[in-house]
Amino acid sequence: MLNVTDLDLSINGLPILRRVGFDIGEGEVFGLIGESGSGKTMTAYGIMGLTPVGTERGGSVLLDGDNLLQHSEQEMCAVRGRKIGMVFQEPMTALNPLKTIGDQVAETALVHGATDRSEARELARDTLERVGLPSARFPLERYPHELSGGQRQRVVIAMAIALRPRLLIADEPTTALDVTTQAQIIQLLRKLVREDGMALMLITHDLGVVADVADHIAIMKDGEVVEAGEAMTVFRTMTHPYTQRLFEASGHVPARGERGADTTTQLLEVRDVVRDYPLPRTTLFGERRHFRAVDGVSLKIGRGETVGLVGESGCGKSTLTRAILGLDRIQGGSILLDGDVIDAEQEITAGARRKMQVVFQDPYGSFNPRHKVERLVAEPFHLLEERPDRDERRARVETALTNVGLSPADADKYIHEFSGGQRQRVAIARALIIEPELIILDEAVSALDVSIRAQILDLLADLTTRLGISYLFIAHDLSVVRAITDRVLVMQDGRIVEEGDTDIIFSSPQHPYTQTLLAATPSVDRALARRLGTGGPVDGA
Amino acid sequence: MLRYTVTRLISLSLSLIAASIIIFFVIEIVPGDPAAFMLGLNAQPDTVAALQRELGLDVGPVERYFRWIFGILQGDFGVSYTYRTPVSELIADRLWVSLPLAIYALTLSTLIAIPTGVIAAALRGRPTDTAIMGVTQLGIAVPNFWLAMLLVLLFSITLRWFSAGGFPGWEEGLWEGLRALTLPAIALALPQASILARVMRSALLDTLSEDFVRTARAKGLSRAQALRRHALRNAMIPVLTIMGLQFSFLLAGAVIVENVFFLPGVARLVFQGITQRDLIVVESVVLILVFAVIVVAFLVDLAYAWVDPRLRHQQ
Repeated sequence: MLNVTDLDLSINGLPILRRVGFDIGEGEVFGLIGESGSGKTMTAYGIMGLTPVGTERGGSVLLDGDNLLQHSEQEMCAVRGRKIGMVFQEPMTALNPLKTIGDQVAETALVHGATDRSEARELARDTLERVGLPSARFPLERYPHELSGGQRQRVVIAMAIALRPRLLIADEPTTALDVTTQAQIIQLLRKLVREDGMALMLITHDLGVVADVADHIAIMKDGEVVEAGEAMTVFRTMTHPYTQRLFEASGHVPARGERGADTTTQLLEVRDVVRDYPLPRTTLFGERRHFRAVDGVSLKIGRGETVGLVGESGCGKSTLTRAILGLDRIQGGSILLDGDVIDAEQEITAGARRKMQVVFQDPYGSFNPRHKVERLVAEPFHLLEERPDRDERRARVETALTNVGLSPADADKYIHEFSGGQRQRVAIARALIIEPELIILDEAVSALDVSIRAQILDLLADLTTRLGISYLFIAHDLSVVRAITDRVLVMQDGRIVEEGDTDIIFSSPQHPYTQTLLAATPSVDRALARRLGTGGPVDGA
Repeated sequence: MLRYTVTRLISLSLSLIAASIIIFFVIEIVPGDPAAFMLGLNAQPDTVAALQRELGLDVGPVERYFRWIFGILQGDFGVSYTYRTPVSELIADRLWVSLPLAIYALTLSTLIAIPTGVIAAALRGRPTDTAIMGVTQLGIAVPNFWLAMLLVLLFSITLRWFSAGGFPGWEEGLWEGLRALTLPAIALALPQASILARVMRSALLDTLSEDFVRTARAKGLSRAQALRRHALRNAMIPVLTIMGLQFSFLLAGAVIVENVFFLPGVARLVFQGITQRDLIVVESVVLILVFAVIVVAFLVDLAYAWVDPRLRHQQ
């Protein structure tokens, strides 16, 4: 139905795609896999004709034998939304905040002149119902900000499928969502494919998702398709070395040496911590109500130990992190770091601050773009009583950079000169430079590609082995937590619902919430076992 | 929405009270006794004292403040020290010139700026955009009094379409009044329009690169449709902010343009009041201007809520 042949694409003369080719059959799920910068999103835009100014396209994109590349912009407007629908990565920003969801779904029909106004409204109501937003609970008059991320993604899907297109392109549709929501959205997409006989082009970096649903897959690297074919065959054979590397990296377990985690002496001790946020007053003089974000949480981290904290967005893990860092006041309980009390209300001594450092999810946002890496990495030195002189400072920055696998010469660069993975290394180097005893990693590898993530995990494991550093590893991605932690705590609605050794929790979770999380986590191995066991794509719906 | 309006109204009243206190006491500490000023250098001390009593200057500042405020609440702004006429009449006369002028100028500025900004954003990087950016840069750089003089040179002296200054009064008819205000309004509007057009352009460019515009394009909307239906309203928030600020400026800051065109406006009244130590006029006009600014800010807040449902639903 869709035949992409020798698709070349360049922007202002810079080649982005080279001879990309694949076919998608009617009602088929096609997985397009690649890391960031591989050109998978640009392939989708190339098909849709939504490329930036200065783009040249070559080759052919046949939709039912009709070459889309020869269509005028006006003709493409008639194709987009009617024959090909598209769903994007970021549901929080993909909807117009000033228009109701009903209007936005109805617009798809109106703009194609398919229906009149009242019919378009009926269509919007039916379509929202089909994507799991029945108008009884989600009236058409709702605005996007009144919906959660998963619900907004359902609205975006409704807009894309309202006119029952032949093909739905979903570009990382679940990357920004929690695992349980991700599972629901994937299930919804499969249901729609089955009901409408629509083909689905699923673009993702997550092999687990693709392994579960795709009939055919293609793997892209640097603007080219390196391997393509029937999903099960590709997963079994993996002829191309890049495919093999990608698979290894996605399930990568860092080799952790004899750590000798000393769990008898506690480094961090969090006892019954409570963190309340005041809610806005509902009446002028009424009692102020509070939202309890962290509710009596206790945890311990021994020296050299790596502890994982998992939970979905809004469960309170970031709030807990801020309390441990002494950034926010707590309303109950206590936090002890190596004997020092951490309490935002009292002054936290430089001595205590020196013992812990933090690495956040977005490495770019946490650096001042105007400073050189040397200055950025040397920042924590102000916590030391005796600050190193210039030469020593330089030497220590270089050592820290070398420790994280960068070169000493990188100290003279600016942060924008680095890739995402390299920036995260700089962030870790900055955390390491004053040799803290605890590093808190708040979703520190979530935004990274699998191969870079594997490198960072190796680096972290190596640092524990060599320097005996402890980690509090906060993540929503359970497979990563499994690979790197000794113990894991599962957090839900501000409470720790289950904790224990990582192996035990993952092999026999006790709490229903942990079981749900684990079941929702995409896993290549599990998907393959299931599909090979029944000899074909399994319908999980 | 009701809740939002009520909270805005409460904050509006509090601002007004705070402003009246600040205005009164700041002007009170300005050196120079109005009575002594009015009577000249050779006045006898007892004559000055008598005049002070007559003007109500013999009591303490706190009492004077309350007299002033209660008077205003009853529509009595007091009597001008120099003109010896009720301040309320003075101000009312002048507002009938200044308010229409400000509205006229703001309307012109908006009518010019919004289409210009939209065109520049839609044709980003093309020659039209470059030309618009150049002209608006010039518009910001040119001071409005100089522009005013050029307009007088061209339209009054050379072409003789408009009079060079003065205001005949609204009794002469709407058309005559508007005619007299046209050149001053243009002189005020063009620099403001330049600023507003640039704000419109950059706000629109920001929203055009938002994800939801891409979503709209994926639904099958053309570039122009996506701009009109999705980007434009989202770009209005910064434009409304600037429009609110500009209106306040046009009302109070037109003093030079009012002087160039010899218009009996509020700004000139304040200017004269200051030079003649007519404190009661200054206080009253400033209070009224502050009131206008706060009301405009309130209207802008309501406009935000009208544009953005997230503000309407704010708890």
